[in-house]
Amino acid sequence: MKIIVQRSGGVAGMKRTWTVRPEPPEDTDRWQPLIEACPWDDVAGPGEATGQPDRFMYSIRADQRRAVLPERELTGPWRDLVECARAAAEEAGPAEIG
Amino acid sequence: MFRSVAYRSAAYRSGGYCSIVPPYLLRRLAAQQEPGFSGAAEAAQKALLHVKSFQAARAELTLLAVPAARGLKPGAPERTIYDARSLEQLPGSLVRNEGKPPSGDPAADEAYDGLGHTHRLYADAFGRDSIDGKGLPLEATVHYGKRYDNAFWDGRQMVFGDGDGVVFERFTKSLSVIGHELAHGVTQFSGGLNYRNQAGALNESLSDVFGALVEQYAKQQSTAEASWLIGEGLFTDQVQGAALRSMKAPGTAYDDDVLGKDPQPDSMDSYVRTSADNGGVHINSGIPNRAFCLVATALGGNAWDAPAQIWYDTLTGGTLAPNATFGAFAKATVASAKELFGADSKEHDAVRSAWETVKVKL
Repeated sequence: MKIIVQRSGGVAGMKRTWTVRPEPPEDTDRWQPLIEACPWDDVAGPGEATGQPDRFMYSIRADQRRAVLPERELTGPWRDLVECARAAAEEAGPAEIG
Repeated sequence: MFRSVAYRSAAYRSGGYCSIVPPYLLRRLAAQQEPGFSGAAEAAQKALLHVKSFQAARAELTLLAVPAARGLKPGAPERTIYDARSLEQLPGSLVRNEGKPPSGDPAADEAYDGLGHTHRLYADAFGRDSIDGKGLPLEATVHYGKRYDNAFWDGRQMVFGDGDGVVFERFTKSLSVIGHELAHGVTQFSGGLNYRNQAGALNESLSDVFGALVEQYAKQQSTAEASWLIGEGLFTDQVQGAALRSMKAPGTAYDDDVLGKDPQPDSMDSYVRTSADNGGVHINSGIPNRAFCLVATALGGNAWDAPAQIWYDTLTGGTLAPNATFGAFAKATVASAKELFGADSKEHDAVRSAWETVKVKL
């Protein structure tokens, strides 16, 4: 299992990437409900979503699934997934930039 | 997840707001404490939720917009500054409104002064009455979210984060960033440019151009004296970089071990194709940014004179399509220069030559 969160945009325009590779079975069991809770089929695909000036854009991947969300749509289960992924990735080491 | 608390707090303090530690020591500290950057990144994640509908606000305000009434004397600014008190709710509680003395909160007072400087540039240089040309009251919220690493225009007001203290200081510290955000409002009220690909990069570039002009006019700096940097002073001393972007030399604003190198191209030869950042709107803006700086450099004097008049006329003239490409924008600036200053005037020549240098075809 692999979860990748990429944040781009913001007035600074700096891209940051947080990657989590949960180890089966305990870790993947913990991540699966967070991933399943997100409405993957109800969001725009890459290149379709457009953000607002200087807000962040999020590209979220969990194995084969992918979603692109403007900052203001990062709510509910999406926000939970992104915050958990960032926290886990940062625990493992500094955020990748670029 | 709290393993790096010790690093984080140390790094936060050393990159803080009233540091008396010399920069070279901070850099050494930063080198030893790279995990502190993970704390910085984590800080930014606190400030994600802002569900106000930009689209709705924009649609409503656009209906009220009229073209700037040139020749009429613009009124005085009407500023209001709010404090979100680290929440993500707008507008927050009132801190300072028009005519009141400084509040003592640096972020609130910088925002108040910055809105004033921005209002003054549009009034003095273009005879424009505020962001919408109709005296729109200027509102800003400071202390938005917890260690929020951003500033933005939400369609009706300005919003400023405090920064994480490790990579970014508070976003009101840079006058060019305040001017940048309000220029998004001017673009919106002028008909707008789609926030994607080349039109989006033009939207971003216009914000950098007018943001830089606000700062140059406030400091009364000529083109030769100006830094042409956007967001100078936003990075903490731990970051190896001068600013977010350089209009004069795109791609050279920062080069940091952790943040990487400024990715802006300085001509179409190095145009970046990416799906991130709405198609690289903050990246490819370097190309039209440099074109403006080249025009200003060729003409000398103050950039808020002829160069700014040409760009302002292009933005507000009503000929720019929302999906304009770099080429369409370049042609429109050439037409504006010709109309304002005459065919084969030095201004007309400077504009044509600038686009040629950055390899945008006319």
